[in-house]
Parts: sequence; C-alpha cells; structure tokens
Amino acid sequence: MIIEFELNGRLINTKIDPGKTLLEYLRSEELYSVKHGCDHGECGACSVLINDKAMNACLILMPMVEGKRVETIESFSDHKNLHDLQKLFLAEGAVQCGFCTPGMLAALEALKRENIEVSEENIRDSLNGNLCRCTGYVKPVEAALKSLSQMKNDGESS
Amino acid sequence: MRYYSPASLKEFFKISSQCPNGQKTFLAGGTDLMPCYEQGTPLPDHLIDLKHLRDLHSISVTENTLIIGALTTIQDLHDHPLIQGEFVALYQATHEFAGAQIRHRGTIGGNICNASPAGDLLPPLYAFDAQLILTGPQAERHLPIHEFILGPGKTALLENEILTSISLNRKRLRSQFQKVGLRQSMAISVVNLACTWEEDEDGFSMLEIAAGAVAPTVLILNAFTRAYLENPKKLPKLLQLIDEAIAPIDDIRATANYRRMVLKNLIWAFLTK
Ligand SMILES: Cc1cc2nc3c(=O)[nH]c(=O)nc-3n(C[C@H](O)[C@H](O)[C@H](O)COP(=O)(O)OP(=O)(O)OC[C@H]3O[C@@H](n4cnc5c(N)ncnc54)[C@H](O)[C@@H]3O)c2cc1C
Repeated sequence: MIIEFELNGRLINTKIDPGKTLLEYLRSEELYSVKHGCDHGECGACSVLINDKAMNACLILMPMVEGKRVETIESFSDHKNLHDLQKLFLAEGAVQCGFCTPGMLAALEALKRENIEVSEENIRDSLNGNLCRCTGYVKPVEAALKSLSQMKNDGESS
Repeated sequence: MRYYSPASLKEFFKISSQCPNGQKTFLAGGTDLMPCYEQGTPLPDHLIDLKHLRDLHSISVTENTLIIGALTTIQDLHDHPLIQGEFVALYQATHEFAGAQIRHRGTIGGNICNASPAGDLLPPLYAFDAQLILTGPQAERHLPIHEFILGPGKTALLENEILTSISLNRKRLRSQFQKVGLRQSMAISVVNLACTWEEDEDGFSMLEIAAGAVAPTVLILNAFTRAYLENPKKLPKLLQLIDEAIAPIDDIRATANYRRMVLKNLIWAFLTK
C-alpha cells in the first residue's frame, strides 16, 4: 500500500508492506540513530518523535504513521551544530556506550516540547521507558536538568 | 496482511462484516498486540485499526457521570483534571503505568479488552464499578466490567462488536491504587489493588477493595470488607477471608505465596495507616 507522512522535515510518499514496523523502515533508510534493541517496547532504544510525542518505533506498523510527523535524532543537528541536549550530554559525560542515547534524547525532547515545569521528577519520569545498562541515569538526568532549565530561561528572556 | 483504518463506526462495521471471522484483529495502540507479533504470532489477514475512530478518543463529563472513549490513551487519562480530582485510584494507576512511550500509545480500551489478570487500570475500574458500552452493527449494550472480563484474555465481546466507551458514576468516593512490581518502572504488577471508600467520624461507612494478579480476573474482596466493616478489631483474623477468596499462581515474576503475602500486607497497611 502507498502511505504519505513527514520524516525529518521531508514529505515521504512511498509504497510499503503494511506488516513492516517503523523501526525496520527507518533503519532501511539508514537512520541508524534508531536502535534495534528489544522489539517489545521495553528498552526505548528505538524511541522517535511522532507528532512531538516519544514512541517506540518497534511497536508501530508503517500504515499507522500515515499523515504523521516522524522525527529521529538525525534531524536534531547538522553534525556541526549540536542540539543543546546533545551538547550537555557530552559536557556532563552522560554518554558511555551510546546505544540508549538517541532514545533518551528523543524522550527528553518530547518532554521539552510539552512545555511543562522542568523538574528532576518529570525528567526521571520521561526516561522511565529508556533502559541504560552502562552509564546509569544520574548523568543523563543532570545533563537534562541543565539543558532543559537553560532552554526554559532562554525562552523566557527572549 | 491487509490494513484498514475506518474513520467512522459505520465504515468500521462495513469493513468488519466483510472480513471473515477468525481472520481479523482490531488494533488500538498496539502495545499488547505488537509484542505478540514480534514474538512470532502471525499477523492476521485483516488488521482493522481503530485509532481513526475520532469519536472514541474523547472524555466527556456530565453532572453525574464521566464517559471515557475506549481509545483514550493512558497519558490522556493521566492528564485529565477530573480523573486526578475524583478518580484518584485511576489516576494513580496511569501514573505507575509503563513509561512515557507506552502511555502515549496504549489505550484504556486495550487494557480492558486484553483482559490481563495484571492490567493496571482494571482494579480501579472494578472498584469504581465501571460500566462498559459495547457497540455492534445493530445494537449497543451495557455491561459492568466484572461481567465483561471472563478470564485471562477472555471477554464477553461478540464478533464484530467493539468496546466504545467506559462510564463511571461521579460518586466522589475516596480512592487509592497500589502496585507492587519487580522494579519501580516498566514492570508488570505482581499484585495491584484499588480501594474505594467513604468515611465519617466513626471510620469507614463504605469500603470496596479490588485486587489484581491474584486470580484469573480482578476480584472484589466482598466477604472480607463486609466482615471488616462489622468488626474492624478482628482484622488479624479476618485476613484469612482474603486467602480464601484469591487463587494466585506461581509464574516467572513471583510465587503464589509471595502474592498472598504482598496482598495481605498492602491491605493491612492500608487499613491500619
Ligand atoms: C513495555 C510495556 C510495558 C507495559 N506496561 C504496562 C503496565 O505497567 N501496566 C499495564 O496494565 N499494562 C502494561 N502494558 C500492556 C499494554 O500497554 C496495556 O495493556 C495497554 O493498555 C494496551 O492498550 P493498546 O491500545 O495498546 O492495546 P492493543 O494492543 O491495541 O489491543 C489489545 C487487545 O485489545 C483489543 N482491543 C483494543 N481496543 C479495543 C476496543 N476498543 N474494542 C474491542 N477490542 C479492542 C485488541 O484487539 C487486542 O486484542 C505494557 C506493555 C508494554 C509493551
């Protein structure tokens, strides 16, 4: 079947097998930030933004994204100018092996777009669905707290 | 596999009646179905996505009832001020539900129709005596949730019938939800429990306890609460009535004995707080 949706700012109109997951599709398009982890929605490594909300690409069949806006971390920066969250993850040492990092960034970007009060509690809550088995959560949470409160202050002063 | 996404109930029934029984599956958020497909359950010949049935996404409030569309996501329930205010146990269950990614996709209708003994929204819905509205091609019928869920994965849904909404009476009951899992987040409940009650100076004037993951379906612990309301001082002895009511199993998450202990401890702690 033919579906149409937006992927990282581009309009896509493509023929797909309706049984294919969004995870399989994105990786076949060489968007390798979207990691193939557990296939069950447990680990969050395949998290992407769909209409501004973080979701597991492994639990979504391609026809379900018809008309939707899909974003992966590839669209967050142009490899020279990193996204604020990415900069602070680097500065705070919040990345070790890096496998879970794109999923965490997607979850945190979704939280940022919700425009609610930034607190350690809701940062931790928004990372509930992202498993990290090496760095742990302390550094990512610290990086997110700094980055999100910075953005909030910038937003208020501009 | 063929995929359909009807935009109205009328269109849904037309499509559904054309797909042979046993070869079609209805899909809501997919958070229960997709892991089954990933584990090797073959995709159905006909997959009918309910997500575009716009009317089933809304939460509406009248003076005496709260009506929740079956496709309302866990996150939308969580964020609704009236649920936070008047249906605290339901709110708490959504708060402890999976992680953000799943809460944004999973629906209340999926949690009910999946009929898992451990489904987290179920104890609150039993304790608030939820009425389910089921719609078929010809007619609509209403069933209380305890008559709808028949066993693990088994419901009273007829062919071509779907759950369209859930209705809760606004009785302003006090309520509380508790869940014990093997870790704090993203964990299936080993035991979950919802209590609803009313109180006056003399203590409870009404009390209902719904317990999950301790039997094939959620149980309302009527015999226990009745005896307890008659004679609260006898609590230690009355715990035996809980043991008699439940039928937990051993599985990969916990033993039956552990479930018995946890449930009694949670109820004990709640009643003696
Ligand atoms: C990582 C992970 C964590 C989870 N954590 C929790 C948790 O903490 N607590 C918990 O309770 N559950 C949890 N779940 C299970 C699941 O997310 C919930 O049960 C969710 O509510 C299912 O809703 P859905 O819309 O995704 O259902 P779907 O998967 O779309 O459907 C489930 C079943 O219900 C049927 N169905 C759905 N809607 C209707 C309808 N309106 N009418 C008729 N039939 C219908 C479908 O045909 C299917 O058989 C988790 C799942 C995953 C993958």
